[in-house]
Amino acid sequence: MKNKSTLKQILIYLKPYLWLIILSVIFSAVSVVLTLYIPILIGRGIDLIVDTGNVDFNGLLPILIQIVIIAAVTALLQWLINTINNRITFKTVRDIRNAAFEKIQCLPFSFLDSHPSGEIVSRVIADADQFADGLLLGFTQLFTGIVTIIGTLIFMLSIHAGITLIVVVLTPLSFFMAKFIASRTYSMFKLQSATRGEQTAFIDEIIPNQKTVKAFSREIQCLEKFDEINERLEKCSLKATFYSSLTNPCTRFINSLVYTGVGLGGALIAVSGGITVGALTCFLSYANQYTKPFNEISGVVTEFQNALACAARLFELIDQKPQSKDGTRVLSDTSGNVVIDNVSFSYSPNRELIKNLNLKVDPGLKIAIVGPTGCGKTTLINLLMRFYDVNKGEIKVDGININEITRASLRRSYGMVLQDTWLKTGTIRENIIMGKPDATEQQIVDAAKAAHSHSFIKRLPNGYDTVISEGGEGLSQGQRQLLCITRIMLSLPPMLILDEATSSIDTRTEIRIQKAFAQMMEGRTTFIVAHRLSTIREADMILVMKDGNIIEQGNHETLLAANGFYAKLYNSQFEQS
Amino acid sequence: MKGLFKYFKGYRVQCVLGPLFKLLEASFELLVPLVVAAIIDTGIKTENRTYIIQMCAVMVVLGIVGLICSVTAQYFAARAAVGFTKKLRHALFEKIQGFSYTQLDKLGTATVITRMTSDTNQVQTGVNLTLRLLLRSPFVVLGAMVMAFTIDIKSALIFAVTIPVLSVIVFGIMLISIPLYKKVQSHLDGVTQTTRESLTGARVIRAFALESSETDTFRQRNDMLTKVQRFVGKISALMNPLTYAIINAAIVWLIHTGALRVYSGVLSPGQVVALYNYMSQILIELIKFASLIISITKSAACAKRISDVLNITSLPDNAVEPMPENKDIEFKNVSLRYADAGDNTLTDISFKAYQGQTVGIIGGTGSGKTSLVNLIPAFYKATSGKILIGGKEISQIDTDVLRQNVAVVPQHAVLFSGTIRENMLWGNSGATDIQIQKALKIAQASDIISAKENGLDSIIEQNGRNLSGGQRQRLTIARALVKNAPFLILDDSSCALDYATDARLRSALKNLENKPTTFIVSQRTSSIKHADIIIVLDDGHAVGIGTHEQLLESCEVYREIYESQYKKEGKI
Repeated sequence: MKNKSTLKQILIYLKPYLWLIILSVIFSAVSVVLTLYIPILIGRGIDLIVDTGNVDFNGLLPILIQIVIIAAVTALLQWLINTINNRITFKTVRDIRNAAFEKIQCLPFSFLDSHPSGEIVSRVIADADQFADGLLLGFTQLFTGIVTIIGTLIFMLSIHAGITLIVVVLTPLSFFMAKFIASRTYSMFKLQSATRGEQTAFIDEIIPNQKTVKAFSREIQCLEKFDEINERLEKCSLKATFYSSLTNPCTRFINSLVYTGVGLGGALIAVSGGITVGALTCFLSYANQYTKPFNEISGVVTEFQNALACAARLFELIDQKPQSKDGTRVLSDTSGNVVIDNVSFSYSPNRELIKNLNLKVDPGLKIAIVGPTGCGKTTLINLLMRFYDVNKGEIKVDGININEITRASLRRSYGMVLQDTWLKTGTIRENIIMGKPDATEQQIVDAAKAAHSHSFIKRLPNGYDTVISEGGEGLSQGQRQLLCITRIMLSLPPMLILDEATSSIDTRTEIRIQKAFAQMMEGRTTFIVAHRLSTIREADMILVMKDGNIIEQGNHETLLAANGFYAKLYNSQFEQS
Repeated sequence: MKGLFKYFKGYRVQCVLGPLFKLLEASFELLVPLVVAAIIDTGIKTENRTYIIQMCAVMVVLGIVGLICSVTAQYFAARAAVGFTKKLRHALFEKIQGFSYTQLDKLGTATVITRMTSDTNQVQTGVNLTLRLLLRSPFVVLGAMVMAFTIDIKSALIFAVTIPVLSVIVFGIMLISIPLYKKVQSHLDGVTQTTRESLTGARVIRAFALESSETDTFRQRNDMLTKVQRFVGKISALMNPLTYAIINAAIVWLIHTGALRVYSGVLSPGQVVALYNYMSQILIELIKFASLIISITKSAACAKRISDVLNITSLPDNAVEPMPENKDIEFKNVSLRYADAGDNTLTDISFKAYQGQTVGIIGGTGSGKTSLVNLIPAFYKATSGKILIGGKEISQIDTDVLRQNVAVVPQHAVLFSGTIRENMLWGNSGATDIQIQKALKIAQASDIISAKENGLDSIIEQNGRNLSGGQRQRLTIARALVKNAPFLILDDSSCALDYATDARLRSALKNLENKPTTFIVSQRTSSIKHADIIIVLDDGHAVGIGTHEQLLESCEVYREIYESQYKKEGKI
C-alpha cells in the first residue's frame, strides 16, 4: 500500500519527462533487437564462406553492409538512450532535491528539533542519489534485460528449437552457482564486517585519545590489543575474500560448460545438416551473452526495493506538514511593547509545560528570565520568535497578535544571540552582515570593535575575509560567540533576545562586552536568559520560572526581600564562589 | 609509495604464483576458439561425430583445468592481499603510537582514522584485484592477437589496428572523465553543505529571515551540480556506442578479409570463426581492464596517503638519564611556539616550585595554561629556555621515565572501554585493589563504585558514555592518583564538579601522604586561591607570579579575574 503511494509520487516527478521516458523505452527495445540481430547476420555471412574457391561474394557484400549500418544505428541509439537517461535522472534528482530543500525552509521547528540533521541531510543527498540510480537506471536495465532474454529466445527458436533448449536449460546454472556462492559467503562477510567494526571501534577510541595513551605510556599495550584484533581480522578477511572470489571462476566454468554443450549439440546437428556452421556460430555467441541479463536482473530487483525505500524516505520529508500559515501584517519600527496573554504551550500533548502565562513588557525594558534547567526559559524564546506556535492564548507585539505578523518582519525585529553559536561556511564578513547585508566596512569594523571581536579577527590570516567553516574550526567557542554578538551589534534590531549569550566568554572579556551590551540595550526591549546572576541583577524585571510558570516577578531588590525562590537561587550561587 | 612493498615480505611466493596461475587460466581460455575451429573444419566437414565429441571433451577438460588454475590464483591473491594489509595496518598503528604530540596535532585525528580504516580496506581490494586481474586482461587481449597471428598474419593485422584504436577510446574517455567526476563530487559537497547548514543553522537563518536567499543559493548549487553531472554523463555515454561500432566494423572487415583468404585457400571457414571469436573477446577484456585501472588508481591514492603517514620520521629519543632524587622543578625563560604557528604560545616563563608545593595556573581562554603544564611531561618541547627537575634538564631524562613520574588529569575526561579496574590500572599496572579504593576515595569517586553492582568490575562503555561528565572527571582524577607519581597535573579537571565536591577534593589532595608537586590549571580563582604559587597567564606571558594576597596587590589581571568572579556571583 505504501509502495503504491510512493510509486504514485514518483510518477508525479517523472511526469515532465514522460516523453523522454517513452522515447528511451522505444530506443532501448529497438537497440536490443538490433544488437541481437547482428550475430545472425554474421552467421549468415560465415555460411557464405564455404571453402577454397567457393565464397559467395555477391551475397556476402550486402550482409556486411547491413552489419555496418545496423551497428552504426545501434551505436547511435545507445548514445541517445544514455543521454536521455542521464537527462531524466539528473533532472529528476535536481527537482526532488529542490522540493526537499524548500520544504526544509518551511518545516516547523517541532520537526527540525526532533530529527537529527544528519538524518535529513542523508535523505536529501544520499537517498536522492540512490533513488535516481536505482529506480531510473534499474528500470532501463530491467527493461533491456527482459527484452534481451525474450529477443534471444525468439531468435534462437527461429534457428533451431533443440539447441535453444540446451541454452535455456543450462544457462540458469551459472546464475544459481553465483547465488549459491553468495549465500555461502554471506556469513563470512558478516564476520568480516563485524571484526572490522570491532577494529574501527578500537581505532576510534584510541587514536583521538592518543595523547592520553602517551601520557600513561600505554603504547605497547594498545598495540598488543590492536594486533590481537588484527590477527582475527586477517583470518576472517581471508575466508571472505577467497570464497567470494570463487564466484567468477565458477560461473565462468559453468558458462564454458554451456558453451561446450551448445557446441556439441550444434556440431552434431550440423553434421546431420540440421543447421549451418554460421547458425552454430550465432548460437555460440548467444550462449556467451545469455547469462548476462539474468545476473543483471537479479541485481536490479534488490536495487529497485532499495530505491523505493529511499524514495519513500524522501517523500516522507517532502510531504511533512509545513509550519502554520504566515501572517500578513508587516512589523516595522516596533516600539518594543510585548504582551503575553494567557499563553499555554507544550511540546508534546501529554506533558504540559507553560500554563496560562501572562506578561506585559513596556518598551525598552530589560527582562531577565531565571530558573532551573527545564523550567521553560528557552521555550519562552521559541514562542516569542514564533519558532513554535502557542497552543492557547496570544502573544502581541505593539498590540498585534504575532500570528498576524509576517514571520520575517517579526523575527527581524529581534536580535538574537544564542548559547549555540552557529556560523555558516563563508568569510567572517559574510557571517557578520547576515542581518544587514548592505553594511559599510566602517559599520562592520565598529560593530566588531564594540563586541571585542575586532582584535582577534585582525589577527586571522585574511582578517575579515578569512573563510571559516560551519564547525568554526580554528575559532574557540568564545570567539564564535563574539562573532554572533558582532552580528547583532551590526544589525541593531529594536528588540533583543540574549540566551546565555556570553556563556563561553571568559569573565574578563565578558565584563568588557557587558558595557557594549548595556549601551545596545538602551531603549530596546530585551529578554535575557542567564545563569550568572550578575547579568540579571541589573534587569528592570526578573521573571523567576519554574515548571513552566512564572512563580516570582519583580526586580532584584524586591525579590531578595521577598525571600522566596529567587533569594534561594541567588544565595546558592553566592555560596559557590 | 615504493616503501610499502616491504610489507609483501613473506608473501612474495603468493604474489608471483597468483598472477602466474591466472595467466595459465587465460591461456587455456585462449585455446577454446581453436578447438571450436577444429570442430567446424574437421568434425562437421568430415561428419566425424566421434571427433566432435572428443573435441568437446577437450573443451570440458580445458574448462576444468582453467577452473583449478583460477581457484588457485584467487587463493594466492587473497592470501597475499590480506596478509599484506594486516602488516600494513600493524605498521601504521605502531607508527602512530610513536608519534609526538606535535605530529599528532599536525596529522589530525580524522585523517589518521581514515588511513587506518577505509584506506587500508581499499588498498586490500586494490592489491587483490591487481594480483588477480592486472596481468590477465592485457594478456587475453594481446594473447588473442598473437593467436590471430598464428592463424593468419594478414587477418591479424586487423587486430593490430583495432586494439590500439579501442584502447585510445576506452582510456581516453576514462582519463577525461575521472577529473570531471572529482568536480561532480566537489559540487555535491557544496549541495550537501548547504543542506546541512540550513538545518543546523535553522534558528539563525530564520531569525534573520534568510530562508529565501538560502533557497536561492541551494538552487544555484543544485543547478551547477546537475550541469556538471550531465556534462560528464555525455562524455562517458560515448564509451559503449563507440567501442560497439568499432568492434563491429572490425568484425565486418575481418569477415571480408577472411572470405578473400578462404577463397584463395589460405584459411578455412572454421579459422574465420576462430578469428571472429577472438575479436569478440577483446572488447570485454578491454572494458574490464579500464574499470580495473580505475579501482587500482583509487587504491594507489589510498596507498599513497598511507605511505605519507608511514614516511613521517619519528624523532629518535636519545634521552637516557634517570630521574633525579630531588624533585624541585624550575622553568627558566621558557618559550613555546607550536609548529606552523605564527606566534609564541608561551613567552619567557620563569618560576620555581619545590617538591610537594602546589602551583596554581590561571588565565583566560587561550592564555597558554594547558600549554604550560604540557611541557612538564615533555608532551611538547620548549622552543627556548630550560625546564629543570632537580637541576637536570628534562630533555635529558628518558621520556618514559619522565612520564612515569608525572600523573596527568587531562582537560577532557577520557576513559576507555573496559572495566573500571582496567582503567584505574592504566598508570600503574601493579596497583592493588586497596590502592585503587584509596585513590577513588581521595578523588571523591567512591560513591560511583559503591553504586555499581559489580564495583571495580563494572563496565565502562566506549568514551565513558555510560557515566556523567562529573563521574568521568572524578574517575580520571582517581586514575592519576593510582599512578602515585611525584608530579600531579590537574588541567581544569574540576570544572564539571560542584563547589562542595571540588572543595573536598582539594582538601583531600592537600592531606595526601608523600604529597606530589601539584599543578592546578583553572579559570576559577576559588580553585587556586590557596596554592603556594599562582602563575597568572595573559596571552602567553606570565603577568603575575606569587600568592593570592600578593597578586591581589600587584597584578591587575589577577585582580580583574578575581573581581569579575567574586563580584559577579554575589557579594556587592
